[in-house]
Amino acid sequence: MTMLATSLAKSSNGRGSVMGAKANPYCLDTADICQNAMSKARSRLLMGIVAFFLSFVLMGARTIELGFSEPMAKRPVAHQVVVEPVEFARADIVDRNGEILATNLETSSLYANPRMVEDVDLATRKLIEILPDLSEADVRNKLSSGRKFVWLKRKLTPREKWEVNALGIPAFQFEREEERIYPHGRLASHVLGYVDVDGNGLGGVEHFFDARLNEASQRHEPIRLSLDIRVQYALADELEAAMRAHEAKGAAGLVMDVNTGEVVAMASLPDYDPNNMRGVGDLERFNRVTKGVYELGSTFKTFTFAAAMDHDVIDFEDEYDATKPLRISRFWIRDDHPKARVLTVPEVFAFSSNIGTAQIALDLGTDQQKEFLTDLGLLEPSNLELTEVGAPIYPANWRKVSTMTISYGHGIAVSPVQLASGIATMVNGGRHIPATLIHKNSDWVDGRQVIKPSTSQKIRQLLRLAVTKGTGGNANAVGYRVGGKTGTAEKAEAGGYNRKALISSFIGAFPMDNPQYVVFALLDEPKGTRETHGFASGGWTAAPVVKNVIMRAAPLLGVSPVEEDEGLYHRVAMMIADKKKR
Amino acid sequence: MRRYIPLLAAGVALLSGAAVLQLKYAVQEQSSQVKSIARQIHLDQEAIRVLKAEWSYKTTPSMLQDRSLRFLALMPPHSEQIIVSPGVIPFRLNVDDEVAPDPGVLLTTGPVKPRAKKKRDSRGFRLQISEKIKHKIEQNAQVGEAL
Repeated sequence: MTMLATSLAKSSNGRGSVMGAKANPYCLDTADICQNAMSKARSRLLMGIVAFFLSFVLMGARTIELGFSEPMAKRPVAHQVVVEPVEFARADIVDRNGEILATNLETSSLYANPRMVEDVDLATRKLIEILPDLSEADVRNKLSSGRKFVWLKRKLTPREKWEVNALGIPAFQFEREEERIYPHGRLASHVLGYVDVDGNGLGGVEHFFDARLNEASQRHEPIRLSLDIRVQYALADELEAAMRAHEAKGAAGLVMDVNTGEVVAMASLPDYDPNNMRGVGDLERFNRVTKGVYELGSTFKTFTFAAAMDHDVIDFEDEYDATKPLRISRFWIRDDHPKARVLTVPEVFAFSSNIGTAQIALDLGTDQQKEFLTDLGLLEPSNLELTEVGAPIYPANWRKVSTMTISYGHGIAVSPVQLASGIATMVNGGRHIPATLIHKNSDWVDGRQVIKPSTSQKIRQLLRLAVTKGTGGNANAVGYRVGGKTGTAEKAEAGGYNRKALISSFIGAFPMDNPQYVVFALLDEPKGTRETHGFASGGWTAAPVVKNVIMRAAPLLGVSPVEEDEGLYHRVAMMIADKKKR
Repeated sequence: MRRYIPLLAAGVALLSGAAVLQLKYAVQEQSSQVKSIARQIHLDQEAIRVLKAEWSYKTTPSMLQDRSLRFLALMPPHSEQIIVSPGVIPFRLNVDDEVAPDPGVLLTTGPVKPRAKKKRDSRGFRLQISEKIKHKIEQNAQVGEAL
């Protein structure tokens, strides 16, 4: 319309300039000029119509084009709505089956604005009724301080929060916080560790993986440990029962997958509840499995035998004289279960003869022994994913007498996890696989070959016979073909060994025809009971623990009980002359 | 005829305007619904986290062992009770015969299936046992709550 009006105005203007002198602006007398102007206007109007028509055609074409085109990148409103992810400050920790071991939950902390408190006494009294563990004087001081902000209590339970809210005092307010929760309480506490009030990992896996757990991009990705919480409970339960029965100072235990090095269960007693670290001392925090190093006694004989067999120093047919104690410089080497006769190699192992083993070590030689133990990783700290890892203790000057005592596990102190790792190498065909607490997806890991598979085969026979015919009879879980070695060591004290204070242990592996798991149990200073006829040695105290753990855990771990193939051990069994008298 | 065209056009324009407006409101409503669902999902996810932790706490092995000892007459399995392959199970000789109910097995059975009339006595026996256990469980639950 504006265009039309302008063109009309223009035409009248044009006419005005042409007909300058005319006073009358209406075209009554000059009709032809007027007609001219009208036709001009019409043609201009037509141009406008065409322009509109074209633009509508364009728009129509565009509409059709849009109809046939692909959907646009910009999605409708409804699709732009995203579900806010649940925010938490620290990643979860789960076990191998996805069971939650540690998680962050929302909680509230109570603070107050003292300036808003009208009646300090009333507010204090009411708050103390709900939170009786707060000190009344302290709360009163805080509320009458006249400041703007005071913390009253951190991490309230939902019930406490509700009750404080129900008081209806506007001065009490809440701050959203997060709390680390360990649903299984004491179970696996030494593996998991604990966090401080601000959520920083201070022990165990929480400390070792602190950065990874706090990393914002990986918070929704839980850390999957190799632990199986069910096996963990079986182990902890049995250890606790044994510890109570034998009035031991402490206990430690371990279940490890021999083919992957995964630690399936690890328990150290006394333990603590990571949910409540108040009043927990160093004794409870101490992880005996990884941090503690012990002279583990006869279990070490396995390594001496393996080294000697691998270097073809001994074979099953060889014999060693164990008639009388062995004297080396100022030491006497005696047997705990003296037979006072010449023993075959399987007998030396099954009856746990120190005299025989020391002679084997001499035949093997100091250098070979040291090299072998180094190969097994027994002379350096384990590289398990924990910060609480103890360094082994061994003589700096490895003399002949050291060679002899180390052959049966004295004069060298290693942590239980190192021993278990070493025994796993002995039975799994000779592959050294580092112990780990992280779940591996495969059930087979290639490792560095330390001993020949044939040697591993022989060691399995020896371990099995030490249970069926030797000192480890109490570990024989029927159906599960347990093999293992007892260990009893006297505790070192200033100026010698204490004959009363023992470290009794048993390391077992099952099933012996195709080893899957290594089970270790250790009791610190156990006392003999009537059931054990007063004995406190590994065969009487720790071996039953291993047996019970295997009975409980094997069905969970998928090891089925089958009848044993006696033929596997027949040849070696013939070389063991008498069953140990009980 | 030409007079009605503008009227018609105006009518169509009004109608389509109203339709667009209505569509807009509908979309708005839907999108606010989607938003509230998203909020609900978020809250539920938070609740699920709490519930998972609680489930973990309530099914911790020591708790299960305690419950099992209190409510079930189950013992840890012996190695003889575990059968490695189904091949060692012998075939039943007369398949048509009913097997006598075994009270030891009944403790773990679910809802009782209705049986043929002639088996009424054994069914009564079943119910009696399950009632007894139910009563025991209720009692124990009360004790548990009291604790």
